[in-house]
Amino acid sequence: MAETVLMRNFDRANSHTLAVYRGAGGYAAWDRARTMEPGAITEAVKASNLRGLGGAGFPTGMKWSFIPKSHTGPVYLVVNADEGEPGTFKDRYLLERDPHALIEGMLIAARAIRSALGFVYIRGEYVQPGRRFSAAVKEAYDAGLLGSGFDLVVHRGAGAYICGEETGLLSSLEGKKGWPKIKPPFPAIKGAFGQPTIVNNVETLCCVPPIVERGAAWFAGLGTKTQGGTRMYSVSGRVKRPGVYEAPVSITLRQLIERAGGVSGTGRLKGVVPGGGSAAILRADEIDVAMDVDGLKAAGSMIGSAGVVVMDESVSIPEALLVLARFYAHESCGQCTPCRESTGWIYKMVHRIVDGHGRKDDLDTILDVARRGGGTTICAFYDGAIGPYISYIEKFRDEFEGLCRS
Amino acid sequence: MTTAKTVAFTTSQLEEVRRLQGLYPDRRGALLPVLHMAQETFGWISLDVQEYVAGLFDLSPAHVHEVVTFYTLFHQAPTGRHVVAVCHNLSCHLAGAQDILAHLRRRLGVEVGETTADGRVTLQAVECLCACEAAPMAQVDDRYELNLTPDKVDRILEGLR
Amino acid sequence: MPKLTIDGKEIEVEAGTNLIEAARRLGIEVPHYCYHPGLSIAGQCRLCMVDIEKTPRPTIACNTQAADGMVVRTDTERVKQTRQSMMEFHLVNHPLDCPVCDQAGECWLQIYYMKHGLYDPRMTDEKVHKPKAVPLGPHVMLDAERCILCSRCVRFCDEITATGELGIFNRGDHSEIGLFPGRDLTNNYSGNVVDICPVGALTDRDFRFQVRVWYLDTARSICTGCARGCNVEVHVNRRRPHHADGRRVARLKPRYNGEVNAWWLCDVGRYHYGFVDAPGRLTTPARRGPNGVAEVGWDEAIAAIAEALQRHAPEQVAVLASPLMANEDLAALRRLLELRGVRQVAFDVPPAAPAEGDDFLLRADRTPNRRGAELLGLGGDAAGILAAAREGRLRCLWVFHHDLLAAGWPASEAAEALARVETVIFTGTGANATSDRAHWVLPAAAWVEREGTFTNFEGRVQRFRTAVEPLGAALPEWDAVGRVLAALGEPATAGRAEHWFRALAAIVPAFAGLTYQSIGDAGQMIAGASSAGAPAPPGRRPQVPA
Repeated sequence: MAETVLMRNFDRANSHTLAVYRGAGGYAAWDRARTMEPGAITEAVKASNLRGLGGAGFPTGMKWSFIPKSHTGPVYLVVNADEGEPGTFKDRYLLERDPHALIEGMLIAARAIRSALGFVYIRGEYVQPGRRFSAAVKEAYDAGLLGSGFDLVVHRGAGAYICGEETGLLSSLEGKKGWPKIKPPFPAIKGAFGQPTIVNNVETLCCVPPIVERGAAWFAGLGTKTQGGTRMYSVSGRVKRPGVYEAPVSITLRQLIERAGGVSGTGRLKGVVPGGGSAAILRADEIDVAMDVDGLKAAGSMIGSAGVVVMDESVSIPEALLVLARFYAHESCGQCTPCRESTGWIYKMVHRIVDGHGRKDDLDTILDVARRGGGTTICAFYDGAIGPYISYIEKFRDEFEGLCRS
Repeated sequence: MTTAKTVAFTTSQLEEVRRLQGLYPDRRGALLPVLHMAQETFGWISLDVQEYVAGLFDLSPAHVHEVVTFYTLFHQAPTGRHVVAVCHNLSCHLAGAQDILAHLRRRLGVEVGETTADGRVTLQAVECLCACEAAPMAQVDDRYELNLTPDKVDRILEGLR
Repeated sequence: MPKLTIDGKEIEVEAGTNLIEAARRLGIEVPHYCYHPGLSIAGQCRLCMVDIEKTPRPTIACNTQAADGMVVRTDTERVKQTRQSMMEFHLVNHPLDCPVCDQAGECWLQIYYMKHGLYDPRMTDEKVHKPKAVPLGPHVMLDAERCILCSRCVRFCDEITATGELGIFNRGDHSEIGLFPGRDLTNNYSGNVVDICPVGALTDRDFRFQVRVWYLDTARSICTGCARGCNVEVHVNRRRPHHADGRRVARLKPRYNGEVNAWWLCDVGRYHYGFVDAPGRLTTPARRGPNGVAEVGWDEAIAAIAEALQRHAPEQVAVLASPLMANEDLAALRRLLELRGVRQVAFDVPPAAPAEGDDFLLRADRTPNRRGAELLGLGGDAAGILAAAREGRLRCLWVFHHDLLAAGWPASEAAEALARVETVIFTGTGANATSDRAHWVLPAAAWVEREGTFTNFEGRVQRFRTAVEPLGAALPEWDAVGRVLAALGEPATAGRAEHWFRALAAIVPAFAGLTYQSIGDAGQMIAGASSAGAPAPPGRRPQVPA
């Protein structure tokens, strides 16, 4: 059985408290990191092949190294705890069961990027996890872990999926609508409040203490050639044991579904979303794929936030697309034209199809509109939306055509 | 637009506003926390509240209005004493969210988005709350209620005064 | 200075130049909506995408700065497809209001659709509906359905006027431009949002439904609302006299001048042209006698005025010139005064209520040519002239434009003064209490009905050009005064305003060397004067930290 790294403390009673965290060896990595040069910490994270676990899969160490060395002003560390990708719930577990792991990860990251101020942006709906995390922050302040060179502000969101997008989050942190920022400049150059900023996902930062404590090579060795470590897969939908499962990133989708008890409902797999709502759906014959960044990319999908939603044969794919199309139309921030206009339009078309008033032309229109909008927007929200728009229709076209009148 | 009572924070609340503003490199960063505070204090974020908060930040009311209308957790109209927000996104849909919503509509006698006549419950349908492993589920006020069934829903409703 | 290639053509530009501007210099148009050179970069419309070598995806040109060796193509198939896609997205929810929308003919959805769209529409679902015909303050009408959410107007109210009235509310395709409920768009620059709105979402209430833009002719001109002399275009309707209630001047639009007003025009100036076509314009010379007012021809009036000027001793003649008059008018007047030896001249009649300037373009001095009047030596003691009139020491008083009974003097005193003067001549555009008391009334052409120059508060001489014919028999003041000069034996002039400008450039050192050609469309500073340039907008001034 593979190692449990991220979820190692989850089953301890009061795992969220400083005493239990310390008792289990917590903050030893921070003690070690304090003796390291900031650059050495970044090198270690680079060598570990840790890749962002929030959705984009960007190499974390490389991101940290984008902070300009010549910058003399403030540098901010911002944690993306605005978990919102459909099918994903791993960060919620980390906030509730191991908040100190995040704090320790932040301390180490802050040292690496020379940041004295960090913000943890928690989605507004996570009231209990937010309180749990804030209590841990208070413990850390009382213990002098925080407030001695690094301060941490907990910032509560107010309900907008787009605030999970890196620069949408920054706009929201600045007290504005969660409109993503045009890039360039990128956050490492000009981010929160105009200063160099690193935005990392909760789980990504929770990987940092183990990397520092046990070594980059160890972490890299747990995974694939291009992505190190384990990660927490959120498995839900038509599976027998939905829940969060930690596994090395080399695990295949088939293996993961089996670990979650196998397909429920009819017991026969129809399709599965491997990486959160924005990932292209995979058919039952496409699940022998490694659940790492590059493996899923090669399979025409993405690992994203590792939210795995399993659909059995009784699931109506057009209805599933309707749910997601409604989601994207509702969550589009509205800033740029292609996304604002086509998410609403495509939702109307899918609605019409599901209601039985669709035409086969509509399917081609949806595909064409989606393709034309891809790559043209300010942020990747729309590129996420077209994952389901295109893959559900292309891979299950018969089912859609069956609903169309002509 | 005037209301019978003036919108104002207490002195200690204003201190909290200043403290929050001081946490951010630009005090505007405290806008969301202060709007949350205003909603908790006044129940919902009326236009008067928006103007008041705008004054605390030296922002134009239009820009506060932009923020309030953008985020779904800010209520621009009074809600019931309790808010039941049922997730109807993908995994919850697969687990029967529509049935839970139908059950709630019948029990409460309201449509989604409406408040019961006695002011007790506002029913909402919301996007992914990220508790998919316990689908179908809802956010009831500050907490998540998981693995909903019609019976469980009834028990929850009984507890909402 | 980076050197780059666009569509195979090489160009060198200043560092920091974006690709839309770099392409513009080569005569290549990159279509765009949200970009405006006077506002921050928004990057929202996504229409300005171009292909850049070594960049896998098309990139927005507005946010890309020219770099040395950059190779840009705006003419690839992919750029064409992208533009077409962006046009389709912009039109998904756009109402087909063209037949009733003022913007038709100058609408950038229309223009770019014809150039870059031309696809078969396939949106057959219900469009999103939003509020229509919503007044935003006294000058602007909002149609939220037509809005393409480019955010130019929002950025204008933040970055230029720093008043922040406008916002984009909600999200997704329910996003909507609007004011804070209950508030109004009352800043003194509200009209500019109409200019910068690429579509018919923000239209001018004054211009609403008046005349179609393709019937308009334009002339380059200068605003006469205050001493700044913002550069404008006068748009006139000559071709459809039965539209717009017969109003000939349809609207004013700002004209870019980086040294004066940049892209902007204040509402005071933008809407002050109404007098041109209002009832009450003086259109024929008139004589008031014991039997009432009679319309006369110019010859009769000129002859009588020349005779009066010759008959009376110079000490008994006074002139109240006006800072509304053009340099050419003042030059002709100065010659007349010289010729007759008239010393009592002034232009500074105090206004009834002193006006205020604002923190941007509007000056407290609401006249276009005080500086010109000063430079031409026409300053004097206006109160002294009034006193002389009241005390019976004047036989002839020529008043240009002023209504002495509506000025900062007690009306009774002004009335007395006028009553005691044997020959009162009034020259102006509209009838007023003073013209009612004048013995000779000469109709003046309004500034849009003739050409000439004004000198702004900084000493910039700027040309304004004829937009429309003078109403009735109205003439520019230089022409009226010129005819009096001719009647007094002066050699005939070329009969053009430029003659008088040449004359004054020859005698007034400040104007030495200036010609209509050198003034051009950007204006020219008088000798020894320097310009501070267009003022920084209130939204761009450094904020005092809170």
